[in-house]
Amino acid sequence: MIQVENLCKHFEIRHRHKNSWAVLRNFLKRDSSTLKAVDDISFSIQKGEMVGYLGPNGAGKSTTLKMLTGLLVPTSGRLEVNGFVPWQSRQKYVAQIGAVFGQRSSLWWDLPTIESLELLQHIYKIPTARFSSNLEMFKKLLDLDEFLQSPARSLSLGQRMRADLCAALMHDPAILFLDEPTIGLDVVAKQRIREFIQQINQDRGTTIILTTHDMADVQKLCTRAMMIDHGKLLFDGALSDLQNRFGGQRRLIVDFEEPPTQLKLANATIISQEALRITFAFARETRVAELISALTRDHAIRDLRVEEPEIEATIRAIYEGNLLSA
Amino acid sequence: MAHSNSCVHLTYSSVRLFWEITKRSLQRHLTYRTATITGLITNLFFGLLRASVLLALLSGSSSANGWNAQDIVTYVALTQALMVVVSVFGWSDLMNTVYRGEIAAELLRPTSLFLFWLAQDIGRSLTALVTRGISIMLVCYFVFAIKVPSSFGQWLVVLLSLGLAMVISFAFRFIVNLAAFWSPDARGMARFAFIALGFASGFLMPLRFFPDWLQHVLALTPFPHMMNSIIEIYIGSSDARVIEILGLQVFWAVTLTGLAQLILARATRRLVILGG
Repeated sequence: MIQVENLCKHFEIRHRHKNSWAVLRNFLKRDSSTLKAVDDISFSIQKGEMVGYLGPNGAGKSTTLKMLTGLLVPTSGRLEVNGFVPWQSRQKYVAQIGAVFGQRSSLWWDLPTIESLELLQHIYKIPTARFSSNLEMFKKLLDLDEFLQSPARSLSLGQRMRADLCAALMHDPAILFLDEPTIGLDVVAKQRIREFIQQINQDRGTTIILTTHDMADVQKLCTRAMMIDHGKLLFDGALSDLQNRFGGQRRLIVDFEEPPTQLKLANATIISQEALRITFAFARETRVAELISALTRDHAIRDLRVEEPEIEATIRAIYEGNLLSA
Repeated sequence: MAHSNSCVHLTYSSVRLFWEITKRSLQRHLTYRTATITGLITNLFFGLLRASVLLALLSGSSSANGWNAQDIVTYVALTQALMVVVSVFGWSDLMNTVYRGEIAAELLRPTSLFLFWLAQDIGRSLTALVTRGISIMLVCYFVFAIKVPSSFGQWLVVLLSLGLAMVISFAFRFIVNLAAFWSPDARGMARFAFIALGFASGFLMPLRFFPDWLQHVLALTPFPHMMNSIIEIYIGSSDARVIEILGLQVFWAVTLTGLAQLILARATRRLVILGG
């Protein structure tokens, strides 16, 4: 469905002189350097997949998404989506995709929301029967009735997102691109959006690509994650693999009855100690039972628990430590 | 057979889409009632001001460059009535959506950007025509006894000329706004272009009051056809040239529309959507 080979997008960044004569020098000589926003990325996505596209701010996520949706022309590389080269035949291509850019709305600002939705019937030439049945379905799933008559400018963020999702799906797109679909929403609203996205993917077989900063989005929705930073694709695979490969160490937190002496454990290191509580870190492969029996043999223990590293922490470690590129 | 049927259907659905966009634009602009009323009052006030200045030009003689006092007052009424309809002060909505990045949402819809905006602009123009335009003309008719076209045929030609002027003016403004794709601050350039528009379209001063050489130069540009042509046809002072004027208007409407498409195609190729 989506084929990307050696895709690159470079931007020219202009530098400005800041000393005296700056205005004149800026005018006469334009120093510039190249920013590799997307640098030699390859991947392919099958029909019906739901893929999470991750990366810190400025990593190149949005740039990739804009090329995939035909808004940006790649500097080099090959890009084919659903049989189209997106930027070459924009009008034909965009009729087959849906997109929601979380921080922007596609609704008419000062018209009742329903007017924006009804215009889509004419824009996409949706047969009336199909249009009505889709609208009915999305009304129910997204609870649109309460605000369909209100202008988009007066909607809450959650309502606006629901309306925008509906707008992106009225024409039964084969692929749905979601850029930060849950940004700024509260926990309940996020959950609702996720359930809806999941349902669309399952019931309609819509291929979905979403970028997000919220790891819960990816955990709950995606079986596959792609991670990008500095324009490079660093990881592409199952989310659980990411955890296994880079999730690093698990933790054992132990509360002792009395301050322990001569504390030593094979296969585990102490990473913090406060009063009677000691935290050990150990490799994924190490068996917890062995650690615990070693501890209880020599010490009196009140309580203990094992912590899996959170995916969020894993991601943070990857961003901060460049774990993947190392 | 089947092929021609689908062609007919395609045209019908395109016209329908155009109308649906225009309708929403009308609906939008009609909601700004206070703005319409205050705009109307300002229009009338400046109309009075401009009429007295222009009448002073007559200074005793009964006509200037072929126009008498009634023609001049009619000219002022018409320009005041139509200035918002054909946007003589310019327009930068498209430019702003480029700078705000909202253009992305529009490019994600399978419509021609030119037609999408033209439909909206026609909606805006029609709103201005039925609210401000008609009320200004009515007030001026009852208070200043301005000229009115004498026949149904002349009304028809005036409306035709107005419709063409709307398209020409839009295509020109659209092209100016496309500069936003190239420059991070095309506003200065746009301001200059729109000052030229006010001057060269015959809005600030009737073109027939200009020196001959300047009139000849301007006749080679699309500007007179955005305003001056409608006035000449309405007042009836260029009756012999009506067909020629309409022909030139059609020429400029087609040429500028084509040019806009060419520039738009280049603009979207080098598109950089700003932010996020």
